[in-house]
Amino acid sequence: MANMPAAPRERIVLPPHRQRARRPRSVRAREWVRKNLFPSWRGTLLTALAAGVLGAVVVGLIAFVFFGANWEVITHNRWLLFAGGFPREEAWRLWFSIALVFALIGLAYGTWSSLGRRDHLFVLLVGGFVIFLMAHGGAAVWSSIYFLIAVGCMYIGYLLTYRLPRATSSMRTLQVRLVGALLILALPIVLVVLLAGGNVGIRDLDGFVLNLILAPVGIVGGILIGIPLALGRASSLKSIAWTCTAYIEIVRGAPLLGWLFVALFILDDIIGGDLIIRAMVVMAVFTGAYMAEYIRGALQALPRGQYEAGQAVGLSQYQRMRLIIMPQALRISIPPMVGQAISIWKDTTLVTVILPLRELKGNADSAISQFEFTPDRIEAYVFVAVIFWIVAFMMSRVSQRVERAQGVGER
Amino acid sequence: MSTQAPAPPSPAPGGPAPAGDVPLFYRRGFRRLLQQGLYVAATALLFWYIYDALNLREFGFGFLNDPAAFKVANQWLIDVDGVTSSRIEMYLVGVWASLRVVFVAILLSTVVGIVVGVSRLSSNWLVARMAMLYVEVFRNTPLLVQVVLVYAIFLVGAPIIQEVLNIGDFAFLSNRGLAIPWPVPDAGWWGAPDWFVGVWVALLIAIGAVAMTVRRQRQVRERETGQPHYANRWAFGIFAVGALVTFIVLGLPVSIDRPYVEGTRYLEGMVIRPEFAALTIGLTLYTGAFNAEIVRGSIQALPRGQTEAANAVGLSAYQRMTLVILPQALRQMIPSITNQYLNVNKNSSLAYAVLYDDLFRVAGIIQNKAGHALEMFFVIIVTYMLISLVISALMNFINARVTRVGV
Amino acid sequence: MRLPSLQGRRLVSALLFAGAALVAGAVIGACTSDEDQQQAQAVEQQTQQDQDQPAAQVSGEPRGNTIQLIQDRGTLLCGVKQTQPLFGNRDEDGNVTGFDIEFCKAIAAAVLKDANAVEYVDASDASTRFELLADGQIDILIRTTTITSSRDMELDVDFAQTTFYTGQGFAVRKDSGIDSTSDMANASICVQTGTTTEQNVADHFTDIGLDYEPTGGLSQDVAAAFFEGRCDVLTADASDLASRIVVRDNADDYKILPQIISKEPLAPGVRDYDSDWKDVVNWVVHGLIRAEEIGLTQANVAAMASNPPNTEVARLLGVPFEGGSVSTLGFEVVDAQFIQRAIAAVGNYGEIYDREIGDAIPRDCTLNALARPLPSEAVDCGPGEGGIMYALPYR
Repeated sequence: MANMPAAPRERIVLPPHRQRARRPRSVRAREWVRKNLFPSWRGTLLTALAAGVLGAVVVGLIAFVFFGANWEVITHNRWLLFAGGFPREEAWRLWFSIALVFALIGLAYGTWSSLGRRDHLFVLLVGGFVIFLMAHGGAAVWSSIYFLIAVGCMYIGYLLTYRLPRATSSMRTLQVRLVGALLILALPIVLVVLLAGGNVGIRDLDGFVLNLILAPVGIVGGILIGIPLALGRASSLKSIAWTCTAYIEIVRGAPLLGWLFVALFILDDIIGGDLIIRAMVVMAVFTGAYMAEYIRGALQALPRGQYEAGQAVGLSQYQRMRLIIMPQALRISIPPMVGQAISIWKDTTLVTVILPLRELKGNADSAISQFEFTPDRIEAYVFVAVIFWIVAFMMSRVSQRVERAQGVGER
Repeated sequence: MSTQAPAPPSPAPGGPAPAGDVPLFYRRGFRRLLQQGLYVAATALLFWYIYDALNLREFGFGFLNDPAAFKVANQWLIDVDGVTSSRIEMYLVGVWASLRVVFVAILLSTVVGIVVGVSRLSSNWLVARMAMLYVEVFRNTPLLVQVVLVYAIFLVGAPIIQEVLNIGDFAFLSNRGLAIPWPVPDAGWWGAPDWFVGVWVALLIAIGAVAMTVRRQRQVRERETGQPHYANRWAFGIFAVGALVTFIVLGLPVSIDRPYVEGTRYLEGMVIRPEFAALTIGLTLYTGAFNAEIVRGSIQALPRGQTEAANAVGLSAYQRMTLVILPQALRQMIPSITNQYLNVNKNSSLAYAVLYDDLFRVAGIIQNKAGHALEMFFVIIVTYMLISLVISALMNFINARVTRVGV
Repeated sequence: MRLPSLQGRRLVSALLFAGAALVAGAVIGACTSDEDQQQAQAVEQQTQQDQDQPAAQVSGEPRGNTIQLIQDRGTLLCGVKQTQPLFGNRDEDGNVTGFDIEFCKAIAAAVLKDANAVEYVDASDASTRFELLADGQIDILIRTTTITSSRDMELDVDFAQTTFYTGQGFAVRKDSGIDSTSDMANASICVQTGTTTEQNVADHFTDIGLDYEPTGGLSQDVAAAFFEGRCDVLTADASDLASRIVVRDNADDYKILPQIISKEPLAPGVRDYDSDWKDVVNWVVHGLIRAEEIGLTQANVAAMASNPPNTEVARLLGVPFEGGSVSTLGFEVVDAQFIQRAIAAVGNYGEIYDREIGDAIPRDCTLNALARPLPSEAVDCGPGEGGIMYALPYR
């Protein structure tokens, strides 16, 4: 590696003035460092400053995480934080749902994307983190094994779709349709697995599990409400356009906290029912208004020619909408809709603030009211932040994948 | 629909309805009427149902005039005694508290957004990576958790008031808040009454207007003649001299009040309370991450030629950014950043979780004492919408100015 | 015939919108007709909430039969705190534990014959607790709630026998130099919002002519802020203060001032105008106190039931005495053994106190001691001290 003469087998011989020996890696590295970190005295100063800040943050974090913090508040309360009042003897429902969702993630990744080295690293880190949590100072061996099985399901699902049927286009179509249908059905299936029969009710959704259920319900419900709203707002029938606009603007006018307030104090006279259901309705209604705006933006971004072309081919209105307009509009609006999904995911923490529902953050509050853990507030909140970050980060990565796939894919 | 009907000669969308031989049911006018009629009837039914369920006979706001009988913290510039004042007054105190948070958080998050957004595109690898890390961390964690975490860290991290951190007898930091010097009206040389401050501020505005006029004239002349006319320096000079002269002539109507600690209390000066700080910092960090992405996106959307042209003219990196890139990126980013500002407004309701008495919290207390949930919610939503409207109007004004300037 | 494009879009949107309205209606219908919700719905229909009143208030009309509702449902919905040590908090398994929770279990044992047939609903936020009750989200509120005349009259809540007597006190650091509220001029005070304490402290400071600076919020948040040094004073029920101080490592650094500025009798709350339900709750609490008075415990209740020493024990436990008949104590909605089951589930009042609170808040010579100390544990109390826990007669 030290001295590299021109490779003997090289076919293309550059003219002498363009010949440049491939310099040793150490030299290249040095050059990269100089160019990217120390280009001038100003750049050097900036780097030093940044390194100082970064160093301080890292040292502070390490000091806190490994020496200052008492993580027992988390490990001791892992079940409280994870599922709270969910009946323990029914825990298989949780694990089964997790395995199902993981397998589905694997299937989807295999169908539309591929797992890179970074993804494996991410799975390894998060998996390690979860297993560490479960194994630390407790006899949660079975939980760890269940979790590993769930991760295994993800990889099996991935290999199934990624390796096998890329041969023919009809196979591919079948695969896309199957996985797509599964994705759409995932939420109802999981709800059935969690709640059907046995000794569980909707009130047993608790802790992190409640976040994990509330967010998808809000997102799916939001899209279902958002599509007709967007079409309605774009309608030329004044009454429809006007009411849809009013709905969207009023809902967007007040914070989610305010709408949860409505769920508690006002909706009892209108729809009644359990507060978890009301919270779900409010989440969906709230998300719907935002989704509608993104879809409307996409509808407006479509060239008029698309509408006219559909007409020219003789499609009916319904066919035009279903085959030409909506697929394109939905595709364009995916990135902002994923943004909204991440937003609603984070907003599930708000249900604890107003409603008597205990999600992850609420149960963390209970954990730090326990005898031995009253001084460990920061630990508990940092943990909650990390958990939410992991899921939100995954969602944002998926969104980037989707965007990239759109760019190179079917258009 | 396979029914064969003579197609109208040119069915221009939205054109006049075809008349005559088309059966009534297929006429556009009739259909529109039918659809709207059905729709309105359905909506009316729905509203009637809601109206009936809510039973709005007693809907009214009279209860807001009753005595409040509770106190709120975090007052500033006003002093409302909760025992005798009415509920609506207390609510306005809450609105004022919200406005302060929103204003400060918008300003700070914009600064953070620009700094981090530009840093993300820095050629310095470390800086760019750190900016990315910041964005990824703060954009993907719940604001509620950020706010309570900032609050908890502040309470634990800052010294208690008995061990207050004295910053040169000038400012004091403890977990009761940061006390800083603050200007207050002063009798000065002439034993001036408080309203002299008002006079001075009015004069400052007038001088500012003069300075801006001079600046514009000099800019115009600079453009015409090509000679440097130092517009900014002139404007600044006029303003500084004018301010100083009027300040002296009016007999020093303002003095700086320095805080001090007595027992467990801050006296004089201004105290930035932990609750305000936690909420504002939380909002700033969270919104700053989104703003950074908007800034980055709008800069990247500019044609590469802009950077290259600026380089070709020999501008420094700083000049390139402030004179060429940012002013153009600004136009692109204003709509998205306006959205973020509106979010700041709505997210300020998270004060509910950090002991800060904002409008939402005060409304909650009133509702708890007086009932009338529907009316209180109506008041809340109207307030948020009004604040949103003001923000939108201001941003539209800025947008109009920014897009008007020729390149 | 092909309709012009715009109109087509309109049609589709109209259809979609109507469809969405239908779906929404169906969902709402499904939600409200769902088995689980039927009961809540039933409450609502029965409550006939009159909207001239604020949400949590009600005008006088006979109310539904909550006991029937509970028995049909098979679980008791108990509104409890989930963030207060000693009284109501969650353990690492997600179970709720504490003094108040024992009464939920006792009542569930009495009404449902199963002490574990309780669903605990979080009523930690003081500002929304009465709404949960009025709304039918809970059957009973056992959440360190003070009986006050205005709550009883204005809100849709009716109170049963007090389970814990306390009063509003003040906690300070020992080194703060504060010995009474007169030392608190302009002090920074942490106070829970939505509670009687908030009002009491405002009234008290008006009376003594001093000003103070409040920092208000949820109970656990203001307590945490106080312990970090945010406020000079934490004010709450003395029992609440004690429970929060006792769990801290540096408990010795704090003291609770002897000054008590209010009466805070904490009692279970039920909806207005449902006297059968209120009666059951009331007499279960009395039964637990009576059990302590006459020495019935969780351990000996079974033996006592099979061989009652006297007619009163037999009547209380719902068993025949010397071949006599069983007395139902006049209750028609629950069977004769309801108090026996409650005692078997959680023990008598003293046992509950010892198990859940114990030494954290001493009981001797406080209001919570029995009004008539048993000869074996007679304690010399000072003047003005002594208990008022006194069970009404079961006849």
